[in-house]
Amino acid sequence: MAERVYLHVGTPKTGTSYFQDVLFRNRRTLAGHGVLYPADRFDAHFLAALDLMKLPWGGLEAEAIGAWDALAERVRRHRGTAIISHEILAAASRSQVGRALESLGHRTDTGAGAGGVEVHVVLSVRDLVRQIPAEWQENVKHRSPITYARFLEEIGDPARDTRISSWFWNVQEIPAILDRWAHDLPPEHVHLVTVPPPGGAPDVLWTRFSQTFGLDGYDLDLETERANPSLGAPETALIRRVNLAANKQLAPTDYRPLVRELLAHQTLSQRRDSPRLGVPPHLHAWVGEIERSWAAEIRARGYDVVGDVNELIGQPSTEWSDPDRPIERQVASAAVDAVRALALEAARLRAEEARLRDELHEAHRALERSYLRPTYRWREKFVRRLQTSSIGRGVLKAYRGARGRNSLSA
Amino acid sequence: MTEAAPGRPTSGDGERVAWGWVAHLRDGGTTPWEAWRAQLDVASNGERSGRYLPGAQQLELLRRLNLAGTPDPALVERVVAASAPGRGTSDLELVGAAPPVRWGPRPVDPATLPPAELIRVASLLLAEDVVADAAPAPEPPRFRRVWARPHRLVGDAWLADPLRLELIRRGRPPGGRSAMVYVLGADVATMTVHAFTARAFDEGGQSWEEWLGDPSRRPLPPRADLAAAADWWRERVGRSRIRIALDADQTARAARARRLPRPPAVSADGVDLARRVAAPLGLLVLPAERARLLRSTLLPRLAAHPGPALALPDSHREWARERADRMRRHLRAQDYRVLGDLDQLLPSAADGGSAATVNAPDDQRVLDLAVRLLIERDGSDQHARGTGERADG
Repeated sequence: MAERVYLHVGTPKTGTSYFQDVLFRNRRTLAGHGVLYPADRFDAHFLAALDLMKLPWGGLEAEAIGAWDALAERVRRHRGTAIISHEILAAASRSQVGRALESLGHRTDTGAGAGGVEVHVVLSVRDLVRQIPAEWQENVKHRSPITYARFLEEIGDPARDTRISSWFWNVQEIPAILDRWAHDLPPEHVHLVTVPPPGGAPDVLWTRFSQTFGLDGYDLDLETERANPSLGAPETALIRRVNLAANKQLAPTDYRPLVRELLAHQTLSQRRDSPRLGVPPHLHAWVGEIERSWAAEIRARGYDVVGDVNELIGQPSTEWSDPDRPIERQVASAAVDAVRALALEAARLRAEEARLRDELHEAHRALERSYLRPTYRWREKFVRRLQTSSIGRGVLKAYRGARGRNSLSA
Repeated sequence: MTEAAPGRPTSGDGERVAWGWVAHLRDGGTTPWEAWRAQLDVASNGERSGRYLPGAQQLELLRRLNLAGTPDPALVERVVAASAPGRGTSDLELVGAAPPVRWGPRPVDPATLPPAELIRVASLLLAEDVVADAAPAPEPPRFRRVWARPHRLVGDAWLADPLRLELIRRGRPPGGRSAMVYVLGADVATMTVHAFTARAFDEGGQSWEEWLGDPSRRPLPPRADLAAAADWWRERVGRSRIRIALDADQTARAARARRLPRPPAVSADGVDLARRVAAPLGLLVLPAERARLLRSTLLPRLAAHPGPALALPDSHREWARERADRMRRHLRAQDYRVLGDLDQLLPSAADGGSAATVNAPDDQRVLDLAVRLLIERDGSDQHARGTGERADG
């Protein structure tokens, strides 16, 4: 059984993709230090989370069947430290959390020394001023056509009875997430990694992750291409319009590589000069009040905060660009970049199609050459002659019946 | 147990009362939460018996099960430990069970929860039951009638599937050289309902109302578009080998079937429950197996609970009539051979207002059906166990 398990359960948009990619690519180095990152593919923990939470995800759930139990078994078999990390785990319900902890070997009636694994829950957190627009953008990148105004209206409704609002608070409401995941853990086993404010040194967040998970001193390759980059206001508005126009025709399996990856992540996120998304001025006070209440609660609970709890109180920008009313010139400019990217992708696919067509042509020619053997031509001629008369057709039918299949030619 | 950290909500009177209610429900009690809370006596308090207090949805579902019968202790524990699948509100707090806090969803009186919240939990339990009770995959026929006329069945899947299965059972799988293509159909209103039903039993998906949408923008469902199906096959096999099959007797004779199997009769609420069970079932088995289990295991259980059938609402009848007329003209213009009469595509004016039909499923009735299925399966389990024990003894 593992001696210690770090469960990194969120929150989204806090550098989790980067952290998970570093762990995945360095899993052999980590194993050399007795640290298990149990994943055979980059999204292994995402699939395990879908399975644990019984969460449909555009068809991906079919790949997730049994993934959590398999993950938990690998953790239980490991002797040493194991790390599990995925941000959607933040939304797990109490019963799902109970099942997860039990499957990892956690026992509520004993400490680690009495036979149970020592569970540490880690939550990376960022101020709501950045999280609110980031969550809307994630919705848009997952095919949603919802406007920003409507999104804000839904998350501001105390009833939280829509799909979007319930999900938003499930993955972002820090005290509630910790109530579900850590209510019976000692506070020193609960770690909050705060994301530094914009403009700081780029490696601060990694340093905090490394310190929290006990990875300091390991020789890890920190270069990664995988990240979940942000879009500006006109770029997000453009993707939303694409969703409105193409959702019905574009299957999720095509949307993911073409819109989410190619357009949003690889193309539009490179446009850094466009206005950034933010929180509208009339919501600054509301957001600030929530942030301050969460920070006070975290201080009172005595958790291990890696970073500064005051970083949870965001600094709204004084410049506000409404993505529901973007500057059309900027959207058009983003659209040109998008068309260029799609044209290049189409050209690449056409070249690939031509290559495959050549391959197929070669295969057909090889097949034809084999058909040109004299015995094949004789048999073909014989069958054709039989088909011209009723007696011949009867003979053929009897022959095929005797062979047990009447749909294929002799 | 680790002591609560400073500042966290602590167990109080409300929580003890809640644990008392949990014990009451586990014992088969049916008292609603608010009435239990109002008793305010020592007997209503209980000891903590788990890592966390189960959610309001789970506890209210357990109360409904207790009202409907006597659930087996194993089912009781499954309900208490269950979680609503998919996105949506996670386990809700009971109002008055915990000190008020400024975060988390608002605590609720479980008796006021909308039925849809309870159906979410029940659908996961039913999906688990379906997997546990999986009917074996049908064995391929031991013989094949090589002299039989080859055929293909397309069009309305809810009509075609039972006939296809019947013919396979009799050694006549579809396909083969020079196969005659039968495009099975009915009136457009019925085919639209069939398309939704077949979809519910394949993959689940949107609710009836969402799926129907605005009639001014609603295209004909592909499974109800006989003209498109016929044209597609005409391109491949030629017009002479296509039959538009609208009359049951003529179709049965043409396909050399003794009779045309009727599609299974499932109530509107049964169809909706299948749709809801399909979602969590997709997290337990692969898509092809899900469709097979929904039809082979869940469908017979739903069919055993008759109720009003689903019918196209009046708001969509003109749409159906216009689409049927367009389809009739197209099929006539293409000169396809028809078994029956193309006028059978037109929906009759009376279909929507029949007492035996409803225009939409009802959440409360769907919940009642889900509860009956859970209890009924539990009862048959107990019976099986009892019989087994007696047999063993």
